[in-house]
Order: sequence, then structure tokens, then C-alpha cells
Amino acid sequence: MIPRYQRILFWSLVGAILLMVAFLLRGCEQAHKRLGAPTSDTPIAAPTSASTEDITLYLANDADASITPSTESISLPQEPAIRARALLDHLLAAYALPSSAHPLQAGPAVDDVFLLTDPQPAPGEQPGQLAVINLRGAFVNNHPSGIQVESLTVQSIIGTLHAALPQITSIRFLVDGQPHDTLAGHADLLHTYPATDTAAKPMPPTEP
Amino acid sequence: MTPPRRHLAALLLTLLTGAAAQAQQPTPRTLIFLDPAHGGPDPGAHLPNNLLEKDLTLAFATRLRAQLSAAGFAIISTHDTDPAVPFPTDQRAEIANHAHPFACLILHATSSGSGVHIITSSLAPNELDDPHASIPWNTAQSASVPQSLALANEIGLSLEHAKLPVILGRASLRPLDNLVCPAVAIEIAPLTPTDAGATPVSDANYQQTVAKAIVAALTSWRTHTLAAAGVSR
Repeated sequence: MIPRYQRILFWSLVGAILLMVAFLLRGCEQAHKRLGAPTSDTPIAAPTSASTEDITLYLANDADASITPSTESISLPQEPAIRARALLDHLLAAYALPSSAHPLQAGPAVDDVFLLTDPQPAPGEQPGQLAVINLRGAFVNNHPSGIQVESLTVQSIIGTLHAALPQITSIRFLVDGQPHDTLAGHADLLHTYPATDTAAKPMPPTEP
Repeated sequence: MTPPRRHLAALLLTLLTGAAAQAQQPTPRTLIFLDPAHGGPDPGAHLPNNLLEKDLTLAFATRLRAQLSAAGFAIISTHDTDPAVPFPTDQRAEIANHAHPFACLILHATSSGSGVHIITSSLAPNELDDPHASIPWNTAQSASVPQSLALANEIGLSLEHAKLPVILGRASLRPLDNLVCPAVAIEIAPLTPTDAGATPVSDANYQQTVAKAIVAALTSWRTHTLAAAGVSR
């Protein structure tokens, strides 16, 4: 015959085990939800005491192939090359948000931006600056492939740089420090692009 | 024969001769250049369901080629099967430029965006004053940009008539920038209507509808161009 106090102890232990199992399962479920949730709050802006300024991002939209200027207030460094890089990092990070209309994979995209005196200024114009944007190989390898989607990324970068740094007159691209044929198989990266306002909304075909 | 009868006979003879001459003069077989993009070790975009862009462009080119032939077009293509060693983009442009085609179509497929994207070169139009002037290779398309824009508009209209969403865009793209013919890149993206499931690029009916619309556009373009050149008169 098992004494009464041993039975009480046994069932108390069984109850405690069941409670612990339920607690663990609940914890696992919550952790799974937290890890699987879209990173809607990334990238988190670092707290800064520097003054902010209004800048214009030229945002691409895959649905209608448009580039729309959008003003944001952010803090940027003053040195032009570092400013250009920080601006492009901010622009391309915006495309990694789940709500992006031109979704790109999150992660560092721009290694460096170099500003040089433009060796081939437009005829009759003062020489401006040539911006050489050195993209990271990981960004290029993970970029969606297609003429329109790649062209929108290039145009978005050009428009944003042109708006923030008007002294830039032309833009070239490198990937991991080397010339690269295309962004992801389509958009030409060997071409020197003129820095212009790239805001655009494609027009529908018209009857002749 | 009395003079009125003689005039009537002469008029009849003229009409009959004209009709016979017109019947004997077939519509000129206009040449279309087709370039199914990618191939061989270059697969292009990786599409859903393990599909490769190079396979889709080749399948679509085969479909389009059959319909173009049926409509009386002659076709020159960079490849009809998946090549072990594909032509580089410069060589594709060389093939087209040597053939002097009536229109050049570069075929692509993507999983980004929706509908059919008709892309024209982003080069600024540049009219050649001297037809014998040398043309820089990297901007060879600039002299043909106005005709390319008109061709893109014609194909866009035809796709719209077929109830397909169309986006007309411009991009810097090889070999598009190196061609000296009216040239467009046609990029097929999935159909994503709001009220139904998406139609993938690989859907045979979707491809068939796009191909039919392109052939209708090229037929209309041929009629307009030949009429403007006075060939059909």
C-alpha cells in the first residue's frame, strides 16, 4: 500500500511537469512568432543628436514602373562622398521594408562612393563631378532580375543622388571594385549615366 | 470601233492590267530579327517553379516565330535551341545590323512587376545628317529611337486591345543600344489581376495571346511603313 503522502507528492510532481511543459510550449510559440514576424521596424534609425534635414528620395514602384520623389527628414554627414554613401544606404534600406513597392533584399548595398572631376563634361558646360558608386557583390547577386526592375533601381539611385548633390553630373557603377556588365543580367552597368531628374510615370500607348 | 467604245475598251484594259499587276505583286516579305535573351551558361532570371528565363524566352520565341511566319514575315533568330556557347550581346547586335531587318525584337521574361513591359532604348534620339557617317557602337540605336518608340507604341496598343496590361518604358540595355533597326525589348511578367490568382509567365494561353498581339502590331506597322514608303502603291 502506497502511503497517502507519497501519492500526493507524485501527483503534485506530475502537475508541475505538465505546467512546465505548457510553459515551454507557450515560450517556443512566442519565440517562433517573434522570429517569423516581418521586420517592419528595421532598419532601426540610430539615435542621433545631429540636426536633421529634408532630403528627396526618388522611390521606385514595380507595379507601374514609376519613380516618385518623396521628402524625408534625416541626418546626413556633410562631407560629400560620405553623404552620398549614407544617402544611398538610406534609400536602399527603404526598399528592404516589407511595405516597399520595389522590394529588395536587406543588407549593406554600397561599399563606397567616390567623387571625381568629370573627365567628359557636356559641351559648353563647367566640369562637374563624376560619382563612382561601388556596389557590394552580395547586393548585386540578390537583386531581382529583369529589365524593368533593374532599371528602376538604377534610376532611383541616379535621381536621389542628383537631387541631394547637384554638383554630380554623371554616374558610373562598379561591383566589388570592378567594372560589371549588368546589375542582375539586364540593366547596363558599363554605361556612364547622366545625373538627371529621373522622376517618371510611364504613359500608356496612344492612338496614332 | 467608235470613239466612246474605244475609250471604254482602253479604260477596261487599263483596269484589268492594273488588277493583274497588283495580284502578281505580293506583299514584300519583311524581315524580323528575334533575339530570345540569355542561353547556354547564362540562364537569365530564376523564375518560380525552377523555371529559367532562357527556357521561357526560347519557348516564346518559337511560338512567336510560327505566328510571324504564318503572317508572311521572314525571321532571323540568334538561336532556335539552347546553345552550348551563346553569342555575346555584341555579336547578336552584329547579326541584326548585317541583316537590315524591318524590326528587332529582344525577348525577356521576369517575375517582377506585372503584364508586358515594352522597353525602348534610353538613348537620346540623334538624326543622322549624313547617311554615310560612322555611328558609335555604344549609341548605334540613337538614330532609330523615334521609329523604335513608334513601334513600341504600336505593340503597346495591340496588347491593350488584347486586354493585357502594358507598361512602356526606357532603359539602357545591350544589345538594344547597339542595334540600327527599330528595336524594342519585350519583357513578359506574370499577370496579377486583383480579383483572381496570378497567371505565370509560363502559361501557354498567356504567351499565345501576347504573341498574337505582337504579330497584329507588326502587321499594322508593316502596312503603315510600306504605305508611307509607297511600296504598296
